[in-house]
Amino acid sequence: MTVSHKESKENIMEISGLTKYYKSKLAVKQLNISVKEGEIFGLIGPNGAGKTTTIECMLGTKIRDGGDIRIFGHNIDKEAKHIYKRIGVQFQTNFYPDRIKVYEICLMISSLYDDVVDYHILLEQFGLHDKSKQLVSTLSGGEKQKLSVLLSLINKPKLIILDELTTGLDPKARREVWRFLKQLKSKGLTILLTSHYMDEVEYLCDRLMIINEGEKVITGTVNEIKSNYKMDSLEAIYLQIVGEEEANYENTLNAL
Amino acid sequence: MKTLLTLFRIEMKLSIREFSSALFGVILPVGLMLLLGVLYGDKMAEGGNYSLVQQSFPAVITIGICATGLMGIPITISSYREKQVLKRFKVTPTSPLMLLMAQFINQFIIALLSSVLVWGVANIIFGYRMIGSLGQFMVVYLLVVLSIYAIGMMIASVAKNINTANLLCSLVYFPMFFLSGATVPYEIMPKGLQIVADSMPLTHGIIMLKSISLGGNIKDYTLTFVCLILLAIICMIISVKTFRYDYR
Repeated sequence: MTVSHKESKENIMEISGLTKYYKSKLAVKQLNISVKEGEIFGLIGPNGAGKTTTIECMLGTKIRDGGDIRIFGHNIDKEAKHIYKRIGVQFQTNFYPDRIKVYEICLMISSLYDDVVDYHILLEQFGLHDKSKQLVSTLSGGEKQKLSVLLSLINKPKLIILDELTTGLDPKARREVWRFLKQLKSKGLTILLTSHYMDEVEYLCDRLMIINEGEKVITGTVNEIKSNYKMDSLEAIYLQIVGEEEANYENTLNAL
Repeated sequence: MKTLLTLFRIEMKLSIREFSSALFGVILPVGLMLLLGVLYGDKMAEGGNYSLVQQSFPAVITIGICATGLMGIPITISSYREKQVLKRFKVTPTSPLMLLMAQFINQFIIALLSSVLVWGVANIIFGYRMIGSLGQFMVVYLLVVLSIYAIGMMIASVAKNINTANLLCSLVYFPMFFLSGATVPYEIMPKGLQIVADSMPLTHGIIMLKSISLGGNIKDYTLTFVCLILLAIICMIISVKTFRYDYR
């Protein structure tokens, strides 16, 4: 049976009115995000804009101060287990226990789910199969990032959330990760990612939202945002929004 | 169950690789038992109809409990929190408590193995034989494990970061190690130190273990027994109330 894909896809994730304070400091203000099935959605903003806080609140690893979160139609407060079954997460910081080997962390994560992919196949796909018996701490930065994406795929997720996946990777490793994410998308996976690299966002994201100081600035496709600002470069738009720091180095230079 | 077993196996491998649990929890007490056996020989305790080896055995087996409960458990758990392992586990359908459980079982097995090996050394080389009831002895042994592990878990929960956890562990572990009678016999300590020692739960655990192994009865220690249970419960409540999945 063939199904027409023309009708608009359903929202796989819906967030409305997300608000979070750290003590009295506002971190995220009234954020609404909806991610459609099968798309790559980018949450974009400078360091400290609230990207990671948003992700942690939507996953329930941080307590939020307001807002409604639904993923796969389930409420995160009531049916978190249903959500976690089919979600893959890569947090910004790697989480490997000391002295663990590659295959051991794969086994560990596999054991947490009922329905998993054979991790040997994933290791093969990621070109890590010959490192299987190696300590995770001996892997290169790129290999560690690849491993963390691999681990987020072990439970056959429908949605994966990647927080600053390519930060710290060299250009070649970044492109490799991009190609891989495109492949995942072509298999029907939905991806929510955060980034502050505009080339990455332009290449990968179907839709994006730029946030600054915890608030939405604009959301739409890359082209929609470009035509809205009547500018040709996403990077220029981003810098205009974030406020380009015109640092005055002259005094420093004179002092040298 | 399958999950627990897998996690347990990996935890076990990691702690063998890490080695300090094996060193402080197993090798050290076995070595100490050997040393004491050689030093004491067949000497009898003063004013008692039992040997010095019989008198020191119950104290030596608590070293494994302390090393695993006051070092192994709190340090591993706070490093898992620091490294966001627990947070990563939280976004799966399995509770991170499963990982804690695997960690407890792992440390308990190390402690048990240590006790069995110490017994083996004492028995085979120095002809050790327990005078009192083995059943009662095991009940008290488990009680000591429970209360020491509860203290360890409390340290893991209240410490704000891994450095504090390390510091608290040392502050609790080393005084108990030296003053509770585990290494230096309580009987030979000066009065002043005995008062300090009396404030430590392990001291009372060791006094009970000693007495029972030498023919005493658990019934004479009802108050101590109840106190240790209360201590374990209080520590567990504090631990559960202050437990967090990550430090941030």
